[in-house]
Parts: sequence; structure tokens; C-alpha cells
Amino acid sequence: MSDQPDENNDLLNNNTDTTAQEPNNTQPEEGSSKKKRKRDRSGEEKDKKKKKRDKDRTGDKKKKKSSSKSDMSDSLKRIATDAVKDIFNQNKEKQFDYVNLILKADHAMRPIWVTPDKHIFLETFSPIYAQAYDFLVAIAEPLSRPENIHEYVLTDYSLYAAVSIGLSTEQIVKVLEKLSKVELEKSVETYIRDATGNYGKVKLILQKNEFFVESQSIKVLEQLMNDSEIKGAVKVPDPVQNSNVDPSGRFLVRMQSTTDTDSYRLAQEVKALTVAAEKNASNVQDGDDEDEENGDGQEDKIKMYSFGIVAEKVGKIKERCIKLDLPVLEEYDFRNDKNTKLDIDLRPTTTIRSYQERSLSKMFGNARARSGIIVLPCGAGKTLTGITAASTIKRSTLVLCINAVSVEQWKNQFKLWTNVDESRIVCFTSTVKEKLPLTGASIIITTYNMISHNRKRSIEGQRIMQQISEREWGMMLLDEVHVVPAETFRRVIEVVKAHCKLGLTATLLREDNLTDDLYFLIGPKLYEANWLDLQKKGHLATVHCVEVWCPMTPEFYREYLTTNHNKRQLLYVMNPNKFRACEYLLKYHEARGDKIIVFADNIFALEEYARELKRAFIFGDTSQAERIEIFKKFRTTTQINTIFISKVGDTAIDLPEATVILQISSHFGSRRQEAQRLGRILRPKGQGKGQNSAYFYSLVSLDTAEMFFSSRRQQFLINQGYAFRVLANIDEQIRNDKDIIVESFKGKAQELTMLAKIKAADDTKGVLEKVKQDPDEVVSQKSRSNGALTLGGLSGGESGLMYQEYGNASRAKKGASTSKHPLFKNRNK
Amino acid sequence: MVNAIRGVLLECDPAVKQFILHLNKENTGSHSGFVIMDLDETHLFVDESIVEYLQEKLDDLHEKSYQFKKT
Repeated sequence: MSDQPDENNDLLNNNTDTTAQEPNNTQPEEGSSKKKRKRDRSGEEKDKKKKKRDKDRTGDKKKKKSSSKSDMSDSLKRIATDAVKDIFNQNKEKQFDYVNLILKADHAMRPIWVTPDKHIFLETFSPIYAQAYDFLVAIAEPLSRPENIHEYVLTDYSLYAAVSIGLSTEQIVKVLEKLSKVELEKSVETYIRDATGNYGKVKLILQKNEFFVESQSIKVLEQLMNDSEIKGAVKVPDPVQNSNVDPSGRFLVRMQSTTDTDSYRLAQEVKALTVAAEKNASNVQDGDDEDEENGDGQEDKIKMYSFGIVAEKVGKIKERCIKLDLPVLEEYDFRNDKNTKLDIDLRPTTTIRSYQERSLSKMFGNARARSGIIVLPCGAGKTLTGITAASTIKRSTLVLCINAVSVEQWKNQFKLWTNVDESRIVCFTSTVKEKLPLTGASIIITTYNMISHNRKRSIEGQRIMQQISEREWGMMLLDEVHVVPAETFRRVIEVVKAHCKLGLTATLLREDNLTDDLYFLIGPKLYEANWLDLQKKGHLATVHCVEVWCPMTPEFYREYLTTNHNKRQLLYVMNPNKFRACEYLLKYHEARGDKIIVFADNIFALEEYARELKRAFIFGDTSQAERIEIFKKFRTTTQINTIFISKVGDTAIDLPEATVILQISSHFGSRRQEAQRLGRILRPKGQGKGQNSAYFYSLVSLDTAEMFFSSRRQQFLINQGYAFRVLANIDEQIRNDKDIIVESFKGKAQELTMLAKIKAADDTKGVLEKVKQDPDEVVSQKSRSNGALTLGGLSGGESGLMYQEYGNASRAKKGASTSKHPLFKNRNK
Repeated sequence: MVNAIRGVLLECDPAVKQFILHLNKENTGSHSGFVIMDLDETHLFVDESIVEYLQEKLDDLHEKSYQFKKT
């Protein structure tokens, strides 16, 4: 780099040479700096950084103009200019040109930028960061929240959520305007008004086991009733039964008061915010304060009109309403619900953390319960949040989990945190079917599979299902709610009638983009925690994410280039350099006394690694007893410090003692999997070696497809604020480190034997393990890579979750025979 | 008499060298392979006319591995 200025001076002819050099100079420098560092605003132009890892940055507009296509044959220049051209060509719709945004005079005092494409950027180092953050989290969807600058986007759903907690259009627009460094674009303002204008107009109510659609204006109801799809589901009110039918005979009338305590509180918060913003801004406008005052505290009686709808069509109606731009608001007035109360209270020793309380306050805003989704990172106490919500509502609760292990865990948590009578908690899985108490409210914990099962059931199961579908549930808790949009699990929502639905998850991500469906299936996203924040407060362990680059050995790489798709995966996973790196890291961390989990999706690799390194391993076929034994030794003794786990370990296995995770092979670009694996080590480990840090290593083979997938997977974690460091020269470190001797693959001969083994191995070995419940719904490599449909997929077999009920029952078959009378042997196979 | 062949010395890491040899094999149709001599693990002696083509191919490889597809 230092040579270049001299060169510039020597080149007397072309001026364009020197300016064309600039993109060159800046881009490699930027590439070497931290991956997601956002640059500071310079004057009126803005550099927006998108999710690209290396050299793709938007340059200054002036620079772009001057990077002309000179007659240089310098290929480096070519690469640079091509890259810049690519960005601008790809995102033609997206205007990166913000020269037209009008900067306010006191922009230095304000914390946010609002761009015409509805993105909002927040500076975390601003003095009013905290309040601005609260506000933005309430009205916009967070995209990326690293250390210094956050990025949010305004979407329909985020505004919907804002309205459902009580913010009004005026408030939103005013505060956004106040906080923004640039003048609010007209397009953005109209968008907000349009989006919020329609929300809250229509409500869905469940009363006496019947659903009603309610609204303040008859016109809106008429519009809904006349819609072709909703027409069929409407139930005409019977004037004899109901005394409060309106004159036209179509609607029921109800009087309602409008004390909205939650929106009052929020209005106060917002007012405080505007006052603070005004103090920082040089212009003080008195008129605004009065506007805020008038909005709240009115006590009025208004007429609410409603019509009944058929229960089974509720989901369709909600979907239809969203399409008509009139999303339904669902609120459950649990305090006045006549249903039987459940005697449940949190134990006095139970403490709720601040973020759990915030998330619940979003849910229980105005003395009513809203349905929705709460997103908290793994290990942050989602279960406790759900239990607290259930204890607040104090009605019958249905809890849905993904597998039998979770069911047990939830039951234990209920017993641990609350004083509910144990006989009131009922587990319902394929192996365990406890009896429901005859009278009174109860808590049923079961799995998604059990409810959405549409094959034949046992008599016991049938009876319990009947009781579930007949009852009116106060609350339905959905654990790991990101699996719900799958076709097989949607039915759950239709089968069960619940007043309030709360979805809990750590990762609201799916690779098939069905997450939007969750919003009308369950409700808006009420709260999403900030991982970095929680880490700072000590609720989550500090994680150091490292990506270790392992070059491919020449023979392996040769084979990789020439072989077919399946084998390729095997080759880059079994890369001997990766093996060595893995062994080195294992020995290094074991010496420090850490507990290590190694994840490997590919069974062939898992077995090879574990056997070669002589460590314990667990995969789908490992027996339950062996798993329990290994876990026990891992937790309590130093006999086992490392476990190799396949996909089964991705969810629901609780290993809080692990401090290091190594990832040697993974499931393509699944961000969810990456996040959940990280969740294994997020629990804070205050005791122990006095450090609260954890390590997450991702081993990738250079120059292979693995690099591509790895950058995609890390995207989610980077957006949460974790920076991935790259360890590029681990072989140097291995050579230099005298204490640890790496033994595997010492000579070429061993490498070649491994290569031969791989070549001889069955093609299917290259495929990943198929776990029964594949939350990502990506079952086969082929259908993902070509987008082609498999026959299984067309007939509903492979797309969607592979619903199979064989779980523990099939394992029992292998061992002792279940004693069944010959007459009933063929029942529910 | 000494016979001198003109060429370009290529230095790279072992993995990329394999890639180039792979390309070489594919190209035996047009030339008889552009690699004149395989020197050692990290060095190759190639025909000078092939440099431009190699550059392109390496760019493609780089893009395939590192480029981040827009979701």
C-alpha cells in the first residue's frame, strides 16, 4: 500500500488512474477491519452497510463517479470496480443515494436516521439512547443490533404490534420526527398512517366457547360480512336467545368503557421522550405537549357491534382480515372471565428478571392478555416467563412442547417455580397419559405431535383429546413456536380453543419464510430481547465466536473438485487439517478444565472423529440409557469432558455445564441451528474458573462450499451483536505449541487411507442424519440445492415436518415386547 | 545446445495448486495442458498465454466460495 502514492506521482498522464486507485485502497482496508462495523455519517451522505462479509461497501458517491473504466488491464482494479458495480446494479430498487435527505440543524443531538425505504438507524452512543431504543423496539423490527449502530425496519407487523400495545399514529409519527436527524420523508409518514390506521378496528373475542368479531363501526363489520370468504362463516344472532341484537338484526350490541391504562402509561413514556428530545433540540415547541395530554384519560361508554363466527373457520377469517388490511386484535379479559380459576401462584422465592418483566408487561398491557410471541435467547428463562404468564391468568393452561423430554422439563419447572397442586399438572405424551382431574381447572402439558395427530389413537388418548378440544382454555403456551407454521402443526391452532396464545422461542427464523404466518396464527411479536444487552448485564455468558479456517489438503481438494455432490460434504468435513485442528482445540480446552461439546451433523464423520480421538459420542441410534449415562458422567465427573453429538443435541437437551462448542459439520445455511447450538453455552457460569466466558468454534474448510454456508449461518449471530473472529493460521499455532501434541494424521499415508475410505463409502454417508422432527424442514440435500420437487415432497411426505409417531414406542419394540393381547395387536401400529 | 522454454512461475498454496491441475486436465483438448512443469507443493511452471484465463477461473472459484447470496 505504501508504494502506491509514489506510483501516483509517477503517472503523469492519467488523472483517472489516481482516483481509480481510491476504491482499491479503501476496500482492502475495510475488508480487513471488523466485519460489521458501521461507518460514521459524513455530512449528508450515508454509507449503508448491508450484510456482506468482505469487500462490498457502498463508496462515496463521488468516488463511484470517478472509478471509470480506464484502459488498465490490472485485474485487481477490475475486481474492485466490478464489485462496486455489482452492488449498485443489484439493488437498483434500493436507493443508497441519500443526498436528498434534509439534515436538520441540530442533527448532532438526535439519535436516529430514518431513510425513505423505512430503515431506521440508531446510534447507541447518543445520550437519549435508552428511551429511543425502547421506542424503536416497540414500533419497528430489529434487523441488526451490534455494538455501535442498530438497524431497524418498519413493517406492517411491527406497526401492528405498536398499535396493539396502545401507541397511536400521531404519537408514532411525532416521536419519530422528533428523534430523527433528517426530515421525515412524506412516503414514510403516509406508510405509518396507512398501516396503523386500520389496526385495532376489529377485535376477536371468545365468550362462552363462541367466537365473535367485534368492532366499533358498523361499516367495518358490514365490509367484513360482505366479503365472499367470510360470509360463509358468519352466524346470524338469534333474537330470542340474545337480548342485545341491534335494529338490523345482524349484530349484537355491547357497551364498553374506554379506560385504557396501558396506552396511558405508554403515552406518558412517549411524552417524557418527546420532552427529553426537545431539551436536546434547540427548538422547543410548546404546542406538542398539549396534544399529548388530550389523548389519554378519557372515560367514555361506546357501542361495540359484533357478529358470531363458526369456530373452525377462525384461522381462515384471521388470514382473510389481514389480507383486507383489517387485522384482528385479540385480547383476553381474564380478570372478568367466568371460567373456573386455577389455583396457581409463583413461589415467593421466585425472582423475575427485568427483561422477563418487560416482555410480560407488553403482553399484559391494559389488564388484558394479548396473544403474541416473545423471543428470548436460549437459557434466558423462557420457561419461567411462560409460567409467570400462566400464573397471572390463573385459568386452565395447555402447554405444547416439541418432544417428551421437554414435557418432563416443563412439568418440573412448574413444580419448581409455583405452588400449584401436582395433581393439577397432567402430562400427555405417547407413553405417558395421566388422568385429568374431573373438576376444576388444570394444566396439560403435551407435544405438538400428540395434538395434530390425525391417525388412530388409543382409547385413552382419544378421551383426553376430546376433553382438550371441548374445553375452553384460558391460555395456550407454545414452546419453540418457530415450528408451528409447518403444515402438520398448524392444525393445533384449529383444534384447540384458547383465549390467549403465547409463543416462546429463541430463534424466530425459518429458512422457508413461513414466519409471517405466525403473526396471524398466534399474534404479533410482543418482545424481542437484545442479546448483547443481556450479556452485559450478566444474564448470559460472554461468548467468543471464532471461525477456524482449515485449508484442504491437496489430495482431498483434488477429490473434492472432481467428485459428486454428496461426497463433497464428506470430503470437506473429513479434511485432515480440520481433524488436526479439532484435536488441538480439544486438548487445549480440556487442559483448562472446560467442558466441550462437539457438534457434527454427519454421522460418518461423527463416528470417525469420535473413534479416532477416543471420545464419547451420541447420535440418533444411541440408546436412551447410554445417553443418560454419558450425560451424567459429563455433568458430574471428569471422566468425560468432551461429547460428540449429532443433530439430536440441537434442541431440548439441557447441558448447562458446557463452556466450549466446536462445530465440525453443519446443516447448510441454517441460521436457526447455529443460534440454537450457541444457546447450549449461553447460560452464565458464574462459579467455576471465575470467568464467565464461553467459546464457540466453527471449523470450516477453506475454498469449499462450507465457507459459503458458514457466512450465511453466522448472519443471525452477527445481527445479535456477536463478532466472529477468524483464526486463519491454526496450523502455525499447532506447530508452535509445545505442550500439546497432535497425533492424528501424522503422515501422508494415513491421510490417503482416509481418502480411500471416503471414496469407498456409500454415497448416502454423505447425507446428513435425518432426525424425526426436522425444524428446518430441509430434509434432503437435493431438494434444497436444485429447488426440485421430490416425489415424497409432492405427496406430502417430505415437505413439512416428518411427522412420525414412533418415538419411544418403536424402541420398546426392539427390546421387550409390549404385552398386548393378540386381539388388539394390530391396533394403532 | 540448450533448449529454453519460456513460461510463467506460479506460486500458490497446495489447495489452489490442485485446482489448477484440475483445470489443466480439463484443458488437454485445446493445448496439451498448459502446465509445463510441476515443481513442488506450491510452485508450478505454466504457459504464459494461460494466465488471463487462470485469473478468471480463480475469480469464479473465489466467488463461489465466498460470495454471499442475497436472501
